[in-house]
Order: sequence, then C-alpha cells, then structure tokens
Amino acid sequence: MYYYVYDEFVQDPKFERDLALIETRLTDLGIAGKIARLALFRDPKELIRDEIRKGAKTIVAVGNDITLRRVIDAVGDSGVVIGVVPVGKDGNILSSILGIPVGVDACDILSARIIEELDIGEVNARRFLHTVHVPQVSQVEVVVDKGYKMNAFKKCTVEVRNLALEGEDVRAANPVDGKLECVLRTPSKGLFKKNKLNTSIVPAKDLQMTLSNSVKCIADGEEFESNELRFKIIPKALRVITGKGRKF
Amino acid sequence: MAKNQSAETIIAQGVRVEGDFVSDGDVIIEGEVAGNVQAAGDLRVGNDAKIHADVVARNANVSGEIRGNVQIAEKLELLSTAKMIGDVTTNVLSVASGAQVNGKITMDGREVKVEKQKVKEEEKV
Repeated sequence: MYYYVYDEFVQDPKFERDLALIETRLTDLGIAGKIARLALFRDPKELIRDEIRKGAKTIVAVGNDITLRRVIDAVGDSGVVIGVVPVGKDGNILSSILGIPVGVDACDILSARIIEELDIGEVNARRFLHTVHVPQVSQVEVVVDKGYKMNAFKKCTVEVRNLALEGEDVRAANPVDGKLECVLRTPSKGLFKKNKLNTSIVPAKDLQMTLSNSVKCIADGEEFESNELRFKIIPKALRVITGKGRKF
Repeated sequence: MAKNQSAETIIAQGVRVEGDFVSDGDVIIEGEVAGNVQAAGDLRVGNDAKIHADVVARNANVSGEIRGNVQIAEKLELLSTAKMIGDVTTNVLSVASGAQVNGKITMDGREVKVEKQKVKEEEKV
C-alpha cells in the first residue's frame, strides 16, 4: 500500500498540471494510494506514523529534499520503504543522487521498485542522510573510531558526509559503505603553495568532535548549535527506492 | 551497482594525528602523525609530512620524514627528499639519490603482516 505525502508548496496552482500528470501516471501504473497534504500546523510525523500503523508499506514524499527529510524523520526505524517524486526545479539534490528524475518520470522509477538499503548518519541524536556542515572554527579536535585523535593547527571548516556528490577536492560519499566521511579543510599556505593538499578525508564509523566555541551547524539543511558533536553511522537503516541513474 | 570501495584516507598539511592510526585502504599523509601508522593498502608520505611513529603498510612511497621503524610488505620507495630514522624491513627497496636512511635495513624476505582495522570491543556489545 502506497501513501503519498504532498508538501505544502506543491499545492501551489503552478504545480497543478504537474500533479495531475503524476496522479494519472500513478493510477495507470497501479500504484496510486492515499494522499496526505502537509500544511502549516499539520505534523507530518503524526500523519505518517498513523498510516504506518494502519499498514502503509511505502511512503512517498512528493516535493523536494526537505519533504524527503521530513519523511525520513517520521519513518524512523519502522522499516517501510521510502520513495520520492521530486516536484519543481530547486532543492532536489538528494533525489538526483538517488537517480530519480523530476516530475512524472519519477512514477516509473517508483513502479520499478529498485530498493537500496542506505546508511544513515546521526549527529547529537539527529538523523541525516546527506551531510553536516560545521562553519569555520579556530580549533577542532576529532576522535576517530574511539581510537586516534586529529587536530587542525589552523582555522578550518568541517563537513561530515554520508551521501554526497563528488566535489572539487573530494570524491563522492557512498551511503552503502557503512562509514561516514569526515572532511576537514584548512586554508592553503599561499600563492606558491597553491597546489598543496589541504583537505583531509577520514572515513569513520564514529566521530567525536570538540569545537573551540559553540557554532551553528547545518544537518541536511536544518540548523542546530553546539560545540560537542557526536557522530555515528547506522548501517542499512533506510530502505529507499532508487533509479538506475543513482550516483553511488 | 553499489560496491564497497576501499576508502582513501588523506591527512593534509596543517593537521596532526595522535594515536594508533589504522586504515583499511590507501593513505596519503601530508601533515604530522605521532603514534603508530598501519595501512592495509599503499602509503604515500608527502614532502612536508612528519611521522613520529612505527609504520606498517603494503607499499610505501616516501618523500617526507619518518622517525620510527618501518615495515613494508612489498615495495618501499624513497624519493630524494625522504629522511628516515629507524629500522626498515621490506621486500623491494628503491632509494633515490639524496634520500637519507639512518637505521638497519632488512630484506630477508620475512613476511610483514598488515592487519585490517579491528572493531572495537565496545561496538560488539
């Protein structure tokens, strides 16, 4: 049984035609289901958990990455399958990594049901699928896998990645390898040492980070403030429908 | 499609590592390390790197400084800027002109075991 969670923004008249096409295609494929429309004072957690209790086996986020994140938070450890139908041009990085096209084409991916079990990261008991950004701090100490300690001499920024695309100085983070990736960037030395390696990358299952001061960190777009960050990975915690074009 | 690729660990300049540094894959060190270094894959020690540790790896390419005993299972390559203070055990050794080695070199074919990362006891519980 499919349960579709429509984000508030998709109820805008400009998406009316897109939604009509999606709903028709879902009916044609025989995977239409109950629809929940999110609104300002409607708690998605409550709605989704209620439906899981009633027997929903697949929860589909219709919206963008934020909608998907809200669905992931609500699903928790229930083991139900998560799908996504991206709507609109912006904020669909996660769905593109998962290989899901925007709009009506996503319905065929849903119907094909290629399910991957993805790891999920946890920082201070907050779950994340994508990355956690720590803005520039003057000092940071990272204890990796309860073993060795890593210190940066200079000001640096930290990024902890679970599912992420390849960047200029980093490779893609694989969400099925059972590890997080801690990326520590320190500024390069100067003009003539431009090419010096100044990005440290450490794969780890457990990270304990102490920052010199309390800063605003961003976990999958959501802000929180702390100077002590405890990361861990929960392997194969999420069952997600992915497309053939997934980037991991 | 998804494969469990051996991760590459990079310790860049401006970063110091203390403790037993164990990696299942290839390792590049450009910063400072104090303790022990164990790499199941290949190890590259950059020009400005300073390692005060015993090192165990499958292959190593060194152009920085290592103070400690080095055990390499296959090939050790010392570039012209390499500086080593400690005993070396390896199968194949290549030394460029200008490299410094202060220690005993053993190449008697003895096996060097490179252990993979162990799961901490606490995690098993």
